[in-house]
Amino acid sequence: MPLNELTITQAIKELESGNLTSRALTEACLTQIQSLDGALHAFLEVYADEALTQADRSDARREEGNVLGPLDGIPMALKDNIMVQNKRCTAGSKMLATYNAAYDATVTKKLTDAGAVILGKTNLDEFAMGSSTEHSAFGPTKNPRNPECVPGGSSGGSTVAVAANMCLGALGSDTGGSIRQPAAFCGITGLKPTYGRVSRSGLIAMASSFDQIGPLAKSAEDAALILSVIQGRDNADQTTANVEPFVADWKDNVKGLKIGLPRQVWAVKGIEPEVREATEKSLKLLESMGAELVEIDLPYVDEALAVYYVLMPCEVSANLSRFDGIRFGARKQNLPLFETYAESRAENLGSEVKRRILIGTFSLSSGYIDAYYVHAKKVQTLIRQGYNEAFKSVDLIATPTAPTTAFKLGAKLNDPLSMYLEDIFTVSVNVAGLPAISIPCDTNGGMPVGLQFMAPWFEEAKLLSTAKTLQNHLSEP
Amino acid sequence: MKLSQDEVRHLAGLARLKLDEDQADKMTDEVGSIIEYVESIQKIDVTNIEPFSMSAKSQGFRPDQAFDCDDLTRELILENFPGRAGDLLAAPGVFTNPKS
Repeated sequence: MPLNELTITQAIKELESGNLTSRALTEACLTQIQSLDGALHAFLEVYADEALTQADRSDARREEGNVLGPLDGIPMALKDNIMVQNKRCTAGSKMLATYNAAYDATVTKKLTDAGAVILGKTNLDEFAMGSSTEHSAFGPTKNPRNPECVPGGSSGGSTVAVAANMCLGALGSDTGGSIRQPAAFCGITGLKPTYGRVSRSGLIAMASSFDQIGPLAKSAEDAALILSVIQGRDNADQTTANVEPFVADWKDNVKGLKIGLPRQVWAVKGIEPEVREATEKSLKLLESMGAELVEIDLPYVDEALAVYYVLMPCEVSANLSRFDGIRFGARKQNLPLFETYAESRAENLGSEVKRRILIGTFSLSSGYIDAYYVHAKKVQTLIRQGYNEAFKSVDLIATPTAPTTAFKLGAKLNDPLSMYLEDIFTVSVNVAGLPAISIPCDTNGGMPVGLQFMAPWFEEAKLLSTAKTLQNHLSEP
Repeated sequence: MKLSQDEVRHLAGLARLKLDEDQADKMTDEVGSIIEYVESIQKIDVTNIEPFSMSAKSQGFRPDQAFDCDDLTRELILENFPGRAGDLLAAPGVFTNPKS
């Protein structure tokens, strides 16, 4: 097997036994990037020389018996809204095309402290707003399974980097599905941790009460390993939770596990037949392994998307007010103050970003704030209560990750609402702050399909263990 | 509700976004249809329901204290600012022209 195709778990075993060096692993990834990234455009920047230096240092540490942490020597990629000090961090926007990050994100520091080799930064929809990576100011990323299709988004670059074996694992960010939906479209594993599990310090903010950084990986086991490194309370992020740390807890079976299937989700007409078939087949497999499938009621499935498209733009309009030509990016010169703001923003922000800023400005404006923003915050309380109620009778909830498989480039670009509907099964998790994972199901040679599991708050271990058990059975011939 | 083009222009002003004629047309349609879509939540009864606020598991407000940073961080912050005069940050004057 080519080295770049190893999982992290496999690579660590080889590194530990002395059969493999981080340099060889890193070189294999860099070679893969060189041969494929021209066509796929997963990366915005590759740190080839520095990555090799980091790899050599890792090999020297291992030689001396001073391994730093569980990811020592593992080549990884970061979504380009996660900061690495003194490196470009664009968030996929013209506004930040020349922005040089002033400090390391907490997750960057945790990865490098654990010895990870950072290969580079990956493409995304501008400020993580989009479900196809077509809204990047630097051009779209292509799906490795079929380059005429989108990879999903907004973490399309990180997802493709993992799916096309250009790195062993990557970080993305998920505000409404931006880790899980591209993972589904490209056939890999994507985990959105519980809100507050992972520090957002150094993540360029989109909607702060929903944003969460998480792993894109080749297996649930690898995702668990990455989560164990990046998690934890952080003095630089007041919303990180004071909870017991995540520790993987692998069960060897799913006997007696109760999996809830929300009637309201599975009744959605827009689910493509191949998505329904592949996800139902995986669930049947779990049932045959001893899990119990239970139909449940989960209210507000449709409305969760509407709640999200009120609350998220409100936070976007506030968070992006800092990109005004005064503090960041290119400033239009010699204009009065109002025009300096208005023209710098007009020139450097893309149309999807502008659309969301306007929706948020409307929902927060005098006369409308109660009927939109405040009302949505109350429905958010109801949505959380609905999940709380549901998790009293089941261990996990299962849904398709997205209603469709990867669509053609351009297919939804001029119809924002149909693009937003891609998020229908993922956003409610963010609205409720829950952890969720997307894992690939059997595709019969077609485009990949993702199955999503949701768990109660901070129960990532249960999510990952079930995902791993299912993955082991799916990979058996 | 449908938005008028004037309302969209007013929102764009509040958001400090210049929109040309074509964009204002397009945004009026698109933003209007999304606002109509999200109105579906207004039929949900929220009597006696509190708006959601952040989890008690988070850390509350941090103290409002300045802290020092190293020279590299400081230089990077200065370097990224679009206007600079030595170690000072340069911004346009604020007392000219606020547009009504």
